[in-house]
Amino acid sequence: MGILLFITVLLIAACGLIYELIAGTLASYLLGDSVLQFSTIIGCYLFAMGIGSALSRYIHRGLAYRFVWIELLLGVVGGLSSAFLFLAFAYTQGFQLLMYAVVVVIGVLVGLEIPILMRIIRGRYHFRDVVAHVLTFDYLGALGASLLFPILLVPYLGLVRSAMLFGMINVAVAVWSTFLFANQIASVRPLRFLCVAILCGLGVGFAQAKRITIAAEDNIYADEIIFSRDTRYQHIVLTRFKDDIRLFLSSHLQFSSRDEYRYHESLIHPGLSAVPAPRRVLVLGGGDGLALREILKYPQVESVTLVDLDPEMTRLFSTNPMLTALNQKSFSSPKVHIINADAFPWVDSDTESFDFIVIDFPDPTNYSLGKLYTTAFYKAVARHLSAQGLMVVQSTSPMFARDSYWCIAETLKQSGLHTYPYHVYVPSFGEWGFVIAGNRDFQVPVSLPSGLRFLSLAGLPALFQFPPDMSPLAMPPNRLNDQVLVRTYDQDWKDISH
Amino acid sequence: MRTSRREFLRSASAALIGLSIKGDRPVSGSFVNDSYQMGHLLRDRASFPPATQIAKHAVVIVGGGVAGLSAAWRLCKKGFTDFVLLEMNQQAGGNSRWGENEITAYPWAAHYVPVPGPKAVYVRELFEDLGVLKNGHWEERYLCFSPQERLFLYGRWQDGIEPAIGLTATDRGQFQKLEDEIHSFRFTGKFTVPMEVGLSESTVELDRISFADWLRTKGMNSRVLNWYLNYCCRDDYGATTNNTSAWAGIQYFASREPEEKGPLTWPEGNGWIVRRLLERLGTFVQCDRMVHKISKEGKQVRILAGDNEYRAQFVIFAAPTLLAPYLIEGMAPLHEFEYSPWLTANLTLEHLPDSYGTDPTWDSVFMDSPTLGYVDATHQSLRSHIDRTVWTFYWALAEGSPSENRKFLLNKDWNYWKEAILHDLERVHPDIRKCVSRIDVMRMGHAMARPKVGAIFSSERRIIAKSSGPIFFANSDLSGFSIFEEAQYRGIHAAERVLGKLGRAA
Repeated sequence: MGILLFITVLLIAACGLIYELIAGTLASYLLGDSVLQFSTIIGCYLFAMGIGSALSRYIHRGLAYRFVWIELLLGVVGGLSSAFLFLAFAYTQGFQLLMYAVVVVIGVLVGLEIPILMRIIRGRYHFRDVVAHVLTFDYLGALGASLLFPILLVPYLGLVRSAMLFGMINVAVAVWSTFLFANQIASVRPLRFLCVAILCGLGVGFAQAKRITIAAEDNIYADEIIFSRDTRYQHIVLTRFKDDIRLFLSSHLQFSSRDEYRYHESLIHPGLSAVPAPRRVLVLGGGDGLALREILKYPQVESVTLVDLDPEMTRLFSTNPMLTALNQKSFSSPKVHIINADAFPWVDSDTESFDFIVIDFPDPTNYSLGKLYTTAFYKAVARHLSAQGLMVVQSTSPMFARDSYWCIAETLKQSGLHTYPYHVYVPSFGEWGFVIAGNRDFQVPVSLPSGLRFLSLAGLPALFQFPPDMSPLAMPPNRLNDQVLVRTYDQDWKDISH
Repeated sequence: MRTSRREFLRSASAALIGLSIKGDRPVSGSFVNDSYQMGHLLRDRASFPPATQIAKHAVVIVGGGVAGLSAAWRLCKKGFTDFVLLEMNQQAGGNSRWGENEITAYPWAAHYVPVPGPKAVYVRELFEDLGVLKNGHWEERYLCFSPQERLFLYGRWQDGIEPAIGLTATDRGQFQKLEDEIHSFRFTGKFTVPMEVGLSESTVELDRISFADWLRTKGMNSRVLNWYLNYCCRDDYGATTNNTSAWAGIQYFASREPEEKGPLTWPEGNGWIVRRLLERLGTFVQCDRMVHKISKEGKQVRILAGDNEYRAQFVIFAAPTLLAPYLIEGMAPLHEFEYSPWLTANLTLEHLPDSYGTDPTWDSVFMDSPTLGYVDATHQSLRSHIDRTVWTFYWALAEGSPSENRKFLLNKDWNYWKEAILHDLERVHPDIRKCVSRIDVMRMGHAMARPKVGAIFSSERRIIAKSSGPIFFANSDLSGFSIFEEAQYRGIHAAERVLGKLGRAA
């Protein structure tokens, strides 16, 4: 009996420490600054344990019964803590508040465990043996947990399932305790039934968590996945490594927070700065709000309409603190109007005119996306241009997909537009290309907004120069009834990956 | 329906552990647009109520398919308004009828028009009127989007319907030989759309043998080539190469230039054209008016439709010509017109099957299937994201006798046809039953004229086509086969002749 009792101590100690480590790790992943996260979480947690210990004196009777209940509560709160915090990060703005609340609740419960357990068994041993054994196994459990966590749990189970596994251990301890202290508990059966039910629930969660986090996915992405969600339209994944946040849509990299300013400054300013008095701007795609951030640097812009298919994208980038820090809360600007719609039918039915139109779609990897790179589409978009208006199109890489890039430029030309191709270097993408197009001529701008990190007036003309290995190729235009671009793009990437 | 306790526990426990039982979807649906009952009333000479009101018009058009609507369009365009068009069904359009649900509009039969060549003057004129042809350029959004067609053969998909994989040297040689033959026929200028423009007595020999026999005499016995040509004849004529005149088989290929990327198509197929025509024709078109008797009285023609009587100077008979002897008093029975029975079905899909295979295409065909495959109604959508869709499934009952097939078509219930369609699709999409939620089936006993041996140079056909009034015939079957351009040509041609008689020549 003795040794079994002390193994219980070892297990609950391990559980307590695991929850604390999970909270610390999760906060570091999601918010960065691991020193701050670990310090504040450990502090909070220990403090909460103190509260728990202090509260234990108010528990007078039914110690064993209440101990079982504490284990059950810990099993549920701790077991689900990781999944709950991931969801809170994705869906609420109060992630940090909720995280500390969870840490405090767990801390209080863990703080209650040891004092109550010591009081339950105090009659069976000398006081000095109770203290010595309980604390010895407590610290042993902590050692075990702190070794298991980095070596086995995080790499093989991940945070969500580790928490659930230890939640199950807490509940198992509860079941075990109903046998251990059977003579001290009035009615054991309902309690055991409850324990088994919770155990099953966590078991199902454990099995399903595997599907949520998709182990295989971890192999695709080099960095830790901090957000992953299948929306109706696409698979959104955010990864983080140190201060680098990356967005992947259906496995295609959209930006890296380290150098996205290069991409978005280049997408917006060469064109927008060349429009004399831009008041109304349209963004097609760009649900990350990063192009918006650049557009809002022009005080004369009165309204920006953003059309993005996926409401999950625009919601994520308007609510998540880490992402709104990146787009400088561009979605909160009263100038911005979000429309969640399929771009082509929207462009086709709407009649407003705009001074600047940004077309920032994913690359033409399939025929559905390819529709958004056709003469029919560009003609429909061009009808929205005001007299002084210009548009800019993200046009893949003139280096890695040279045929595709010049095919897009030709498509714009065949749509009856004047075209001005240019390119920049974005380290995470490589050489990247854009095309400015309009019903009128374009001159390289003579002023730029202040505070840009990449573009400079002196450097602008060079963007429009193409070295021989990226120079223009004669390509046919991409049409709805003959989508050469999709086949070309596929071939371009096959050529460099084999 | 009562759920057994065991079933309840099973599904409850499955739900509990978060696994849904992945079963087939229940499929709803029915027969739609049945009109054989009305046809049988005419055939059986049923009695109809006496007329209670009389309306007078210079011209009455009988039949609201593409031929009748084109005649009406022509009259309107010439500023002639003293006419009415009578359609027996609730919906005009004939073989170009369409349907619509919450997902998309979809065709019930004819679903495309090949990009018309320079000789199809009337079709080009119509398309200019409808904004399909602008300043010599075809509107891109009405041309079939990429990728257009695919064929399932040897367990995989290939681009295009003409078999291109797994060909032997002999197959290739025969495909080339056919192409050479067709090229020289095309060069003669005797195979045109519309057919009447180029039709020449010098090609009459080709109408005296079947396409299959012609292929045999030319030594073209490749199994793959013959499958392909059989598919083409079933698709355009509802007949196998054995039951198609060699003239018609050659016409299929030789009448068209190797076209620019087409064809022209819309979500509701040629129903789109009908809709535009109906917008222009407004109240000239009266539906639910089944004509049951046409008789000449002096200089007038009496037309009885239900309890309405119409009196007209001229009638344009644009309904299938096979109905004419049952309607027109004193007309002799016809012997040389034959029609192919068809079945089409519209399938509502909650999502594409996992076995879909490629980027979504417009037309999917399976080699060695008795059916003609399916066309995706959302393919012409401008949307980039499409989850639910409608497939139009085509099946010409081409093997065997048309009259036996018609009986078979009408005798089998909806469930039989639903299963037959799903079985056919399952060969290519094993998981199709997980996707389909509805199958509506349309049966057409006399769907399209069949250009059997002798049909093209049939004297009966040519005499009726040249009728000098006061009843003019306009159905596409007067060309020997039913395609959009022929129907439109016949309709406009009849309207022109009526206008000429009325002293209002073009």
